[in-house]
Amino acid sequence: MQRGLKLTDILITIVISIAFGILYKIWGPLYYAVKPFGLHIDQLIYGMWFMAATVAFLIIRKPGVALLAEIAASSGEFLMGSEFGLEVLLYGIIQGLFAELILFAFRYKRVDLFVISLAALSSCAGSLIMDFYKGYIGDLSTWNLTLFIVFRVISSILFTGVFAVSIVKALEATGVTNLVRASSKKDHEALDQ
Amino acid sequence: MNSLFDAKHTWLHSINPSLKLVTILSLFIVAINIHFLDLMIGFLFVILLLFIFATGYSYKQLFMLSLPFVLIFLSTSSSMILFGKGETILYKWAYIQVSEESLIRGIHLGFRALSFAMLGLLFALTTKPVKLFYSLMQQFKLSPKFAYSFMAAIRLIPIMIEEYQMIINAQRVRGLEQRNNFLIRMKRLAIPLLSQSIRRAYRIAVSMEAKRFQSDSKRTYYYKVGFSRNDLFFISYFLLMLGLIYILSIHDPFLPSTDVRYLPE
Repeated sequence: MQRGLKLTDILITIVISIAFGILYKIWGPLYYAVKPFGLHIDQLIYGMWFMAATVAFLIIRKPGVALLAEIAASSGEFLMGSEFGLEVLLYGIIQGLFAELILFAFRYKRVDLFVISLAALSSCAGSLIMDFYKGYIGDLSTWNLTLFIVFRVISSILFTGVFAVSIVKALEATGVTNLVRASSKKDHEALDQ
Repeated sequence: MNSLFDAKHTWLHSINPSLKLVTILSLFIVAINIHFLDLMIGFLFVILLLFIFATGYSYKQLFMLSLPFVLIFLSTSSSMILFGKGETILYKWAYIQVSEESLIRGIHLGFRALSFAMLGLLFALTTKPVKLFYSLMQQFKLSPKFAYSFMAAIRLIPIMIEEYQMIINAQRVRGLEQRNNFLIRMKRLAIPLLSQSIRRAYRIAVSMEAKRFQSDSKRTYYYKVGFSRNDLFFISYFLLMLGLIYILSIHDPFLPSTDVRYLPE
């Protein structure tokens, strides 16, 4: 079997990510509506922004897909002229890289809820590192910072973990994932024996 | 984005897209290392000048595009202003504590977010995605299978948006719109949108593979993206202007210049 990503894998990953980009844009007003209160309720839906990585990986299951998905989702947003400007691009790269690291640590073999949630948490950690530098979140009062982090962790696990897994399960039921997986998965199983 | 409006073709449009991207990313790194409000305002001013006078869009269009900036400023600065750390208390009510330090830090963050938004828009308004990916292939040796996949996917955006409208309408007809919560509604949108996108992407990929789009061997390009004198001007503009505001802010600060970060004594 050919190693690395084929054009089909790449194109499907990018298209999935851009579909997510559209969903992000549509739910964006919701994010804005809850943001200015300063109580970080917006963080409860922040995990959505890491979802492209895990959904794409659950469908394609190859090295590099999670990173590519986050880069594609963020550059799609960037090129469409996102309100958040170029920071989305850098956040995307960091978040994708952190998710990729966890998947790599499990050799891209395990795709259960536990590993996917770990990848979600890793993305979340990556975005928090960016926020420490860019948003000085370390200078928020302690209770407020705690609230901020707890909300973001909850939403990461909920959206990027649980919700992503349930979406892909539903996609599997439609049979569309067989387009990308069928032959290669059977090949793997044959080789394992 | 840039196909939505007509704009005059300015020198910003003719800058090498890879160089523009690298410059803008370097400016991001510069900006997150600015901790003085004076310097931050100067930085914003340098970008604002280009944004207003060099993008080739009419003032009306620029104004419309700038409307979300108010929201960006408020949403970025508010939590730091209301809940930030600081010693000189200006206002206190229950959990809200506005101090001089947190106020300045909040405004600083707001301006920083504004400058990023403006830089991003500057890029999006003056760069054609196709030219960007051609340039990335030619200047950065990006593999064609990535570049052409990106270009194909960007072409699918209008189709996907149309399809999204169709799904919404179909669900509205069946009375599925208002019921249930956020997650269920999102899932009900995501699954048809994603499954159709995957099918379409698969079909396109098969035909692209048949036409050898994935081969990495030496290829020729329809568009040749090179460099011009404008590129030099673009870089010099930032180097000179940023140097100037740096010197000005040291010699002639017009605001009390203290580090906006919280540094306990």
